[in-house]
Amino acid sequence: MNKKPPRPAKAKSTRSVPRRKLGPFLRMVWDHKIVQKVETRTLTLADGTASTRPFSFQLVNFTALFLVFAVFWDMIVGAYFRKTSLWLFFRRVPNFFNILEKMVTTLDFAYLGNIIDPLIDTVQMAILGTAIGALFSLPVAFLASQNIVKNKAVSGFFKVFLSLVRTFPTLVYAAVLAFVFGYGTLVGVIATSIFTFGIMTKMLYEVIETLDLGGFVAIEATGANKVKAFVAAILPQIMGSFLSFSLYNFEINIRASAILGYVGAGGIGILLDENMSWREYGRIGVIMLTLFVVVILIENVSRYLRRRLS
Amino acid sequence: MHPDILKAYQSRPNHTIRNLILAVVFIVVIGWSFETIVYSGINPNGVIIAKNILNAMVHPNLDWLLNFNRSGTSIPWLMIETIAIAFLGTLLGAILAIPMAFLSARNITGKVVSGGGNTLISIIRTFPYFILGLMFVRVTGPGPLAGVLTIGISSIGMISKLYVEIIEDIDKGILLALDATGATTFQKIRYGIIPQLTASFVSAAIYRFDINVRNATVLGLVGAGGIGFTLIAALAVYRWNDAAAALWGIVVVVLLTEAISNAIRSKLVSG
Amino acid sequence: MIAFDHVSKIYPNGTVALKNVSLEIQQGEFVAIIGLSGAGKSTLIKLINKMTDVTKGTLIVNGANVSLLKGYELRKFRRGIGIVFQSFNLINRTSVINNVLAARVAEMSTLATLFGLYTKEDRILALESLHKVGILEKAYMRADQLSGGQQQRVALARTLAQSPKIILADEPVASLDPITANQIMKDFKKVNVEENITVIANMHHVDMALKYADRVIGINAGEIIYDGPSANVTEELLKKIYGRDITDEDIMFKDQ
Repeated sequence: MNKKPPRPAKAKSTRSVPRRKLGPFLRMVWDHKIVQKVETRTLTLADGTASTRPFSFQLVNFTALFLVFAVFWDMIVGAYFRKTSLWLFFRRVPNFFNILEKMVTTLDFAYLGNIIDPLIDTVQMAILGTAIGALFSLPVAFLASQNIVKNKAVSGFFKVFLSLVRTFPTLVYAAVLAFVFGYGTLVGVIATSIFTFGIMTKMLYEVIETLDLGGFVAIEATGANKVKAFVAAILPQIMGSFLSFSLYNFEINIRASAILGYVGAGGIGILLDENMSWREYGRIGVIMLTLFVVVILIENVSRYLRRRLS
Repeated sequence: MHPDILKAYQSRPNHTIRNLILAVVFIVVIGWSFETIVYSGINPNGVIIAKNILNAMVHPNLDWLLNFNRSGTSIPWLMIETIAIAFLGTLLGAILAIPMAFLSARNITGKVVSGGGNTLISIIRTFPYFILGLMFVRVTGPGPLAGVLTIGISSIGMISKLYVEIIEDIDKGILLALDATGATTFQKIRYGIIPQLTASFVSAAIYRFDINVRNATVLGLVGAGGIGFTLIAALAVYRWNDAAAALWGIVVVVLLTEAISNAIRSKLVSG
Repeated sequence: MIAFDHVSKIYPNGTVALKNVSLEIQQGEFVAIIGLSGAGKSTLIKLINKMTDVTKGTLIVNGANVSLLKGYELRKFRRGIGIVFQSFNLINRTSVINNVLAARVAEMSTLATLFGLYTKEDRILALESLHKVGILEKAYMRADQLSGGQQQRVALARTLAQSPKIILADEPVASLDPITANQIMKDFKKVNVEENITVIANMHHVDMALKYADRVIGINAGEIIYDGPSANVTEELLKKIYGRDITDEDIMFKDQ
């Protein structure tokens, strides 16, 4: 009698996401024939065993992304070209390159004298803002750390508060605070401090929560009070990161400071604003050149110091 | 034995002088920086305004906040426009940054070319995005398209920098293995390099998207669309409640974006 | 001298960690406390430097009633007691010498601690402590880059820098391999004999306890089952202390 070949074992479909983890709606989608057919492919090999490619979210993600893109595209680009003809647009494109060319070719070096003072202001604003922001960020970072402040409600509260502080870029703080503190570099310093405070606290508490507190326990057991144990056992572990983060923020703040003048907060932003209005592109070019030189300098020093710190 | 201890004591690393100098330099720099602040006493007007602003933050203009029509005074609409600007801009920047980054990666093009590429990237990063915004407004006229272009071009800077770091970290082993199977250069790129890069590239782009949403909220200042213009306009005429509505719009958008992008990026990491 | 007088420890959740414990330990003794995990060994040690409080009874350490100590008095009291932990509890990203010097901050001002202004005497004392445990040459290395045994030695040196009268050890060698564990226990023994420092060590490896300690206290379910010379400890006695047969887990050197 002919023996029937053994029935091919039905391969268990391995999924990267177990079906029960998907919500009811998603399950409906996933179970639909079409999605199943596209997403999971079953290969049958020569000897009859079957292998099913597991479901991956890639296709779904991609489709969703594309839909979002299409909507946004229509909203902005589509709407624009419905109002302005393509031809008109391309006629104006050279404007951009004209401006760029003027910035590079008609450099007005005589203007350098006017740049020095505001440039110094810009740098000073960045230094002070970083320093003050960093100073206040250290204690608050500890308050937001769950392993230091055992109470989850307290640390959670601070974390939420900090994420609120982080939502506004420096410029928004500067624009609003200009009404309270008047125009000038003071506003710039305060806005930069607040922004730096927001970022550094997050960077710091992410490190603090990975610290080993064993040394603290041990030093307390030798008869030191909590403050001394903290200073001796916890601070040394975080100092390196603190300084490194401060320098990193300083690099960011130098760039941000350059623009603050636009809302009246002092620095070369004011010059940029004026000269753009007067279409003095040669002067803009010189301003940006000096800004570039300063930033590169600071970045290199900062990078060197940060490498020494680790 | 005692001489060993004495030797250890005398050879102890002593950074006192170095630390003292650093401390002095630090104090001098900070002190010098204070010179920039012109303190003219507490402005009583300022205090009143501060109180008004705080008050307004608790009573934002709800008409604006809950206005879901497509208009210039609808915060939800402006929020979506801002996200759209950031989204398209980041996409543009992420795409343009790819060739830029490959040009600037030392393990691809060698020291000289990559050095030039990196300098170009630095220049783009230092170019104040405001000036860029104004330049694009000259091309497209005021409106969100200028914003998209601004964010796109200015993002190239940071995204390229992140890409370069990723590219320079490629695991060479896979390339050698592919070489051994006789793969062509194109195949090596397609199967050896691209899979390693995609997840990290997308993660970097999403990181920049987060920042760009914040930048986009501000670009309205130069007329490049989004919530920024409404905010500044309201502030300029002291309409604190309107400005508060705009600020709350920014808070909601930024927090949402941060939450979503964090979720996506952690999914990317865990594969 | 350490005197437990009918001491009981009951945790807030009702667990009775120690039941009516009475014992005396003289200056200079080397005592090992053995028993199952959770039998009360850790609690006994932690009561001595008040890391946890006595619920009933009196505990007198070197003339002081531990329950009455608080604030400044408590801190002064703790300076004379060193404690070595199973997980070393060193300060990360810090050098060995700075770890040992940290034992001195209890007697320094906060400002001096902040700027690391240790006196020459402090530094010599720290170096001598390192020398006594045999790792003087590692003084300026980063502590977390040393091996487990070396790190525990740093911890021991740290307690020596306190010039303590008593050293408590909570499972000091449980994280170490057998050879290193022997070295550390020898260091404890040396310190105990040469400086007449009382050593009270909590151990779950029976063979180590019997080898190095002069006196053994066996605890089972919070009560003292045995308190006497280690030489007199028999296998049957161990069964009583542990409430079961001795397994491989309770022995450091398995081939004995």
